[in-house]
Amino acid sequence: MKVRFDFIVHWLWTIVFSILTISGLAMVGPRYGWIMNYDIASADFAHRVLAAVFVVLTFIAVGYEIIRVIKSDDKYLAWQVIGRSGYQLFTFITTLIFIITGAIIWVCMDTNMAATSFALYLHEKLTYIVLASLIWHIYMKCHALLWPKKPEKKSKALNESR
Amino acid sequence: MMHKPWFKIFIWFISTVFFLSASFCLIAELGPNVSEQQSMAYMSGMMNAMHNSLMGLSMSIENDSYLKKLISEVSAITLPLIFIGFAAGMLTRVFKRSRNNG
Repeated sequence: MKVRFDFIVHWLWTIVFSILTISGLAMVGPRYGWIMNYDIASADFAHRVLAAVFVVLTFIAVGYEIIRVIKSDDKYLAWQVIGRSGYQLFTFITTLIFIITGAIIWVCMDTNMAATSFALYLHEKLTYIVLASLIWHIYMKCHALLWPKKPEKKSKALNESR
Repeated sequence: MMHKPWFKIFIWFISTVFFLSASFCLIAELGPNVSEQQSMAYMSGMMNAMHNSLMGLSMSIENDSYLKKLISEVSAITLPLIFIGFAAGMLTRVFKRSRNNG
């Protein structure tokens, strides 16, 4: 069985982003704390560790796309998370904003409160936008949720032919 | 892969996680106002994070010169190693490819 590279990156990216969403939402404020039973320490730890994985996966996807551009490969890759048009372009832009604001929050937390507050605001509001877009994305690709049909047995087919 | 039952279950699971996250947002925003107990639980959770998580570590680095020096020394060793490893990997790949072609 041959599994494509963009397919693997897509689903790894999905797993990481789903955990990042839950751990991030738990830290938004007292209204959201119940999501992880107010265990902010675990949410913070999971969010930071997986953010690093998320950045690495994004750079891999960007690098893969750059190599395709250099090779003038215009073939559409359905599973590629980052691309030059449509939802792939939207993901690319939002991911870059997530990474930049996340880095500002991480680095400037103790030194520049104004920058941290602004980055936190952007990071949070972008989460809601991306979450809504993901629901739309799942709706558009809902055929992936259909259960595979069982192949009809050979004997049954033979009997019917007789 | 997309036709494997276990992978279908995985896709259903991941989709459910995103629908749950969206419903978390709706419940949190449209739900009743935050009680004092919830605020206190959140504050104590934050304090706990300061002491036990990376959030606290990043704060303690600012005041700890020894830790700062240690991190800069470790970074000075690790970063070149990562680049050397990356370059070695790329070289091996290129040489293997040229050998296979030749």
